[in-house]
Amino acid sequence: MTALLATEHLTMRFGGVVAVDDVSLAVADGELRCLIGPNGAGKSTLFKCLTGQIKPSAGRILWRGQDITGLNSFEIARLGVGIKTQVPSLFDGLTVLESVRLALRRQARERVARVQALATLERLGIVELAQHLVVLLAHGQRQLVELAMVVAPEPDLIILDEPTAGMSAEETTRAARVIRALNAAHTIIVVEHDMQFIRAIAKTVTVLHQGRVLIEDDVASVLADRRVQDVYLGKTDVSWQVVA
Amino acid sequence: MNGIRLPIELTAASVVTIAAILILPHVLELFALINATVYVSMAVLALSLALVWGFGGILCFGQATFFGLGGYAYAVAAINFGDTVYAVPVAIAVPALVAAALGYVMFYGRISDVYIGAITLTLTLILFNFVNSTSGDQWRIGAAPLGGFNGIPSTPPLNMPGDPGNPLPPEWIFAVAMLSLLICYIIAKLILRARFGRVIVAIRENERRAELLGYDVRAYKLGIFVIGGAMAGLSGLLFANCVFVSPTMFSLFYSGQIIVWVMVGGLSTLVGPVIGAILLNLLTTWAGTLPEINPSLILGAILALAVLVMPRGILPSLATVLGRFRGARGMT
Ligand SMILES: Nc1ncnc2c1ncn2[C@@H]1O[C@H](COP(=O)(O)OP(=O)(O)OP(=O)(O)O)[C@@H](O)[C@H]1O
Ligand SMILES: [Mg+2]
Repeated sequence: MTALLATEHLTMRFGGVVAVDDVSLAVADGELRCLIGPNGAGKSTLFKCLTGQIKPSAGRILWRGQDITGLNSFEIARLGVGIKTQVPSLFDGLTVLESVRLALRRQARERVARVQALATLERLGIVELAQHLVVLLAHGQRQLVELAMVVAPEPDLIILDEPTAGMSAEETTRAARVIRALNAAHTIIVVEHDMQFIRAIAKTVTVLHQGRVLIEDDVASVLADRRVQDVYLGKTDVSWQVVA
Repeated sequence: MNGIRLPIELTAASVVTIAAILILPHVLELFALINATVYVSMAVLALSLALVWGFGGILCFGQATFFGLGGYAYAVAAINFGDTVYAVPVAIAVPALVAAALGYVMFYGRISDVYIGAITLTLTLILFNFVNSTSGDQWRIGAAPLGGFNGIPSTPPLNMPGDPGNPLPPEWIFAVAMLSLLICYIIAKLILRARFGRVIVAIRENERRAELLGYDVRAYKLGIFVIGGAMAGLSGLLFANCVFVSPTMFSLFYSGQIIVWVMVGGLSTLVGPVIGAILLNLLTTWAGTLPEINPSLILGAILALAVLVMPRGILPSLATVLGRFRGARGMT
């Protein structure tokens, strides 16, 4: 079966720094994939390549087997990819309802779009915020508004960059639950830094280290792997020093 | 709730326009009426930047480019065609096309905001210098000499449709200007209410998010930039009908003024910049009549004061004050 999203030898160089180094991975339809790695592993860079924010130096990105390398962000979004950034990226001056309505780009009929937008807000438990200005919301609510914008158009794939950044352990567990629930209807890739979180998600994990895939396996094997422990605890050989 | 407000706002604007057309020509001296027409043309210019900058978030330092191009396109076409009515579409199309070409390069080339400011400003300065250097007899387009720094003093006014020998009297030109302003306001209102305008505002709020939702930001920006260019061209045409076209239309003076009108009137409102343009022009004229005081000094002081007292502009500040008394919502 062709993967929903795959990379082939994906490489991203910044001058002398190879942030993403020959990464090949495949995410199947319906999967919930975690992409983790320590600081500077290349997670954000990989995320930016996958979402069309930067063009990779080499390698290919495939969507259902089709080459989509070098597409712009809006073209990738139009394939049916919902993207949530690390710092919530929102329309501060608009209302929550208008924001979610804008996410329903393909729904031209205003009344239908309104109903769909409200249904999405209902689903995420923030329908009472519909008429609020986004700028006035608390941090947690902002995260949910962005999530509402991402899931409203029913994307085939959702890519989340560090959804638990700045969250407490308890919030992280709750976020993991929300993401697992979303996985019932959507394929999901989560880029994460936090080990706690991948325990809670407990699905296939790809570990990046210095731009390369260190290991890709189910969560139990990954957590038991010596190399992963070394990388995360920092008691490793010189190769894991930051490249100057 | 916007559904009820829109017709009210459009009706109010129409009433003001018709009242001005019926009353002002009777109460103003000829000279004052012509001045009023100039102010109205400036109001159209302010409206064009309100769309591009206030709603589109594109800080165009060179809106005068399209103002000047509209004026010159009108003058050249009018002289060549004879029937000046046919020059109207030219005066709108030429700046719109230039805006399309420039916008394509800037937005599809992903040029950053700061450079967009610099590029638009540079373009208007280049045109200013270029037009200034066209005084020789070899610089003519058809029957129209470009005239260098003298401009084209023989710019003909609009004539009765189908009757080239019959130029419109100043009261009619004033009426045309007022109606143009009204039409531009209505168009702007409708644009902002439509899907296109809502996406434009979303892009101003957060360009990256709009893109991640699947909107081709470049196309939207190009669209609003071209509409703004066309409107500025119309304002140049109106200006050419009261004064005549000259290189000053491309000058830093105008480009800077437009930004001030929009800022003082209220960014992200439509009526604000219109009021700002008219008020500041009245003020400048009045300051010019004062003996022994430099008018720029007075204007500068008033601007500084306005920015200090009403940092968000006249209209939003007024709306806030009114809102305190009767809980009214902001107007646009
Ligand atoms: N624009 C850039 N220019 C130069 N180097 C960059 C750039 N972006 C990232 N890098 C380098 O690439 C490497 C990977 O960075 P990246 O941000 O992708 O890591 P990360 O896994 O997201 O780390 P973190 O967990 O800290 O967010 C780092 O060494 C970083 O310094
Ligand atoms: Mg990162």
